[in-house]
Amino acid sequence: MSTTSSDTTTAIEREIAIAARPETVWEFFVDPEKACRWMGTSAELDPQPGGIYRVEVIPGNVARGVFVELDPPRRLVYTWGWEAGAASAVPPGSTTIEIDLVPDGDGTTVRFTHRDLPTEDAAGKHAHGWGHYLERLVTAAGGGDPGADPWLSGGMS
Amino acid sequence: MSAQIVLKALAEPRRPAILRLVRGEARSVGEIARHFDISQQAVSQHLQVLREAGLVEVRREGTRRLYRVRPQGLAPLRAFLEELWDDRLDALKREAEREERSSREHDQQ
Repeated sequence: MSTTSSDTTTAIEREIAIAARPETVWEFFVDPEKACRWMGTSAELDPQPGGIYRVEVIPGNVARGVFVELDPPRRLVYTWGWEAGAASAVPPGSTTIEIDLVPDGDGTTVRFTHRDLPTEDAAGKHAHGWGHYLERLVTAAGGGDPGADPWLSGGMS
Repeated sequence: MSAQIVLKALAEPRRPAILRLVRGEARSVGEIARHFDISQQAVSQHLQVLREAGLVEVRREGTRRLYRVRPQGLAPLRAFLEELWDDRLDALKREAEREERSSREHDQQ
């Protein structure tokens, strides 16, 4: 669990051990039915370079990007952002998610990186950073009561 | 400041629009109101919500009150994304392990 920084962007990095083979884990990123078991209510996935990644994370809140790199069952890169909401300014796909699946005995170590997030400092100095973050959060707020947002209580399923 | 308060502050579409207006330079309520079809009083109320969420700060310049973005206001939002991924990756682990168990049981039959 760590965070890395450059001057203008930061990344969220996570590493988790899963007691399943990389082949099994891989399917949860590229198969729409399996993808929805851990995130989202519906998914449109075209797992080839340039293919669409579109997941309705909660109703009315759609994450979208494109697949960039696929090396099954080892490495997956796709872009990620929120589709336009009421206060849209920044297009989807403006951040990048990298997944590395490393075999570990009968299991898999998943290295997850969400990069190109603006730093607070950069967001304060550059208009882009603000628009970028606001886009996400405005859409996440979705016009409903964020207090009931399953993301915050942790129970999406 | 909780992510919920920040999210609530951003849920009304005019408030992010106000934030965009004051991210580069400090502006008065009157200047901000000219960009919208709502009253100055309504803009003041929006600014109050943004202030309580830590998203804007105000300073006095003579008789004027000038509002601008408060960059540290983003910290809860980053925490929000971190929490999102932590929760979802936990769910991924759970579901992938369940799938692995059921496929192994299937293989043994």
